[in-house]
Amino acid sequence: MSVGTRLASAVGADRYLENPVERREALLGYLLILPAVLLIAAVILYPIAYNIYLSFTTVPLNPAVPPEWVGFENYQQLLGSPRFWGAFQTTLVFTVGSTILSTIVGLGVAMLFDRSFRGRRLARGLVLLPHVTPIIAVAFVWQFMLSPLWGTIPNLLADWGIYTSQVGLLERSSTALPVVVVFSAWRNFPFAFLLFVARLGAIPNSMYEAAKIDGAGAVAQFKDITLPELKGTIAIVVLLRFIWEFNTFAQVWLLTRQVLTLPIFAYQSAFANFEQGLGAAISLLLFIIQIMFVIGFVKLFGEEKV
Amino acid sequence: MIAQVTREVRSSFAVLREGVRAETSTLKRLGFYASVLLTMVVTLLPFYVMFVTSLTPNGEIYTNNPSFVPSSLTLEQYVAILTGGTFPFVTYFVNSAIVATATATFSMLVGVIGAYSFTRLEYPGNDMIRRGVIVVYMLSAITVIVPLFQLIAKFGLVDTRLSLLITYLVSTLPLTLYMLWNYFQSIPVEIEEAALLDGYSRVETIFRVVIPLSLPVLVAAFLFAFKIAWNEYIFASVFLKTQANLTLPIGIEQINSQFENVWGQVMAASFLTTLPIVVMFLYLEKYMVEGLTAGAVEG
Repeated sequence: MSVGTRLASAVGADRYLENPVERREALLGYLLILPAVLLIAAVILYPIAYNIYLSFTTVPLNPAVPPEWVGFENYQQLLGSPRFWGAFQTTLVFTVGSTILSTIVGLGVAMLFDRSFRGRRLARGLVLLPHVTPIIAVAFVWQFMLSPLWGTIPNLLADWGIYTSQVGLLERSSTALPVVVVFSAWRNFPFAFLLFVARLGAIPNSMYEAAKIDGAGAVAQFKDITLPELKGTIAIVVLLRFIWEFNTFAQVWLLTRQVLTLPIFAYQSAFANFEQGLGAAISLLLFIIQIMFVIGFVKLFGEEKV
Repeated sequence: MIAQVTREVRSSFAVLREGVRAETSTLKRLGFYASVLLTMVVTLLPFYVMFVTSLTPNGEIYTNNPSFVPSSLTLEQYVAILTGGTFPFVTYFVNSAIVATATATFSMLVGVIGAYSFTRLEYPGNDMIRRGVIVVYMLSAITVIVPLFQLIAKFGLVDTRLSLLITYLVSTLPLTLYMLWNYFQSIPVEIEEAALLDGYSRVETIFRVVIPLSLPVLVAAFLFAFKIAWNEYIFASVFLKTQANLTLPIGIEQINSQFENVWGQVMAASFLTTLPIVVMFLYLEKYMVEGLTAGAVEG
C-alpha cells in the first residue's frame, strides 16, 4: 500500500478511491469547490486567524514595520476602560431594543396583512422597501427629516407643542440611541414580516373556525393558536436579528456619530486612532460572542439541515 | 432550516392570495384599513420625503417652516448632481456599478460550481465545507476589517477597485453558495441522471441542465450579491482614498460631511442610488422574496 492510499483509508476516503467512477466524482467535487474554498480561506478564515495575532500586537503606522507583540496589553486596556464597558452596554441596549421592536412590528404587520384586501399585493411589496433600500439613502433621509433646522418632523412636533429643543434628536447621545433603535426597527421589520407572513399563511383556517365555535375571542385565538404556531419562527427571527444587530456598523454610524457601539468602537480604534491592535482585539471579542450565537443557532435549528 | 422557511413562503403565498380570513363588521373594517394606512405611512414617509425634497428648489428646503408639500417643483437638484456641479456623482455611480457587477458575476461563477459540488458530488469533507459555509454566512465584516486592511495594504491594493472586489466576497460568496445550495437540493436528481445516461458529462450537465433549471434563483443570487456590493460601506470607507475611485455610499457620505446645506442634492443622489435596487426588487419581486428569506445578509 502506498502512503497515499493508507492515508486515504485512515480518513475513511478509501471508499471513494476504490471505484473509478466514484473517484472521478470525488475529484471533480474537489475541483469545483476549490475556488470557493480558496477564496473563503483567503478573505475570511486567514483574516480571522491573522486578527487573533494582531489583537496581541501594537501595529505601527508604517506598513513596512512589522507588528510588535505586546501580549494581553490590548485586552487589559479594554477590560479596564469604562469606554469599552459603556460601548458594550450601548450595544446590548441597541441590539435587544431593535431586535424586540422589529420582531413585534413585523409580527403585527404580518397579522394585519394575513387577510385579503384590495391592494394587498402592492402593499406587501411596498412594505419591503425599508429593508431593500441602500442604507446610505435611508440613513440620510432620516437625518434630514430629523434635522432640527430644516427637518419636517421636529417642526411638526413643535407645531403640536411636543418639541422645543434647538438641539437635534441625533446630536445628543441620550436621544440618539432610542432614535437609532427605532430606525433599525423600521429598516428591519420587513425581514420579520416576511418570515411571519409565510408562517401565518400556513396555519389552517379550520383551527380558527373551530376556536370561534368554541367561543374564543380574538385575544384567546392569538394566545392559543397564533403564538404557539409561530413559536419556531419567532425564535429564528429573534436569533438571526440578534446575531446581525450585534455586529451592525453602517446602520448606526451613518445615522449618527453619537452612539458608540462595539463595532463602531473597533472601527474608530483601528481607523481613526490607528490603534489597529486594539481594534483587532475588539473585533475578536465580537467574533467570540457572535460565534457563540451562531453555534446556538445551528444547534437549535440546523441539526437536520446543516 | 431557512430552506424550510423559504418553502413555506412559497407555498403560503398561494394560500394568502385566496384570502380566507375576512372580517365583516363595518367598525372592524374601518379599524383594519386605518391600521393598513398607518403602516404604509410609517413605511413610506421617508421615501416620500426623499423624493419630494429632491424635487424642491433650494429656497424652499431651507425655510423656517418646512412642510411636507412643496409649493413648486424643480429638476435643478438632479441637474446639479448629474452635471458635476458640487461633486462627481456620475463617477461614484459608475464605480459602484462596475464593482457591484464584477462582484456579483464573480461570486456567481464560483458559487454555482461550488454549490453544485457540495450538493451533488460525494467526497470526504463535503459535510464540513457545507457547515463551514453556514457559519461563515452569519459572520460580519467587522470581524475581518482590520486584518483585511493590513493585507490589502501589504499587497499595495489600497485605493483600488480590485480591493473592493476581493473583500466584498466576504459577504457575497457565502450567501450565493447558501442560496444556490438550497435551490439545487430542490431539483430532482433524476433529471440529471437522465442527462448523464444520455452521455452528457457532469460538467455538461451543470451547464445544460442545472443552470437552465435554476435561472430564477441565479437571478435572485446575482441581485443579492449586487445589492450587497452596491450598499457596502465599511470596506470602501477604509480602502478608498481618491475622489475618482469612490463608490456611492462613501461619495454621498463625503458630500454630506463636507458641504453645508446640499440636502436637495443629497436627496437626489440618494434617490438615484435607491432606484436601481428598488426597480430590481419590484420587477423581480417573486424571486426577491425567496431570496430575502433564504439569506437576508446585512448590506
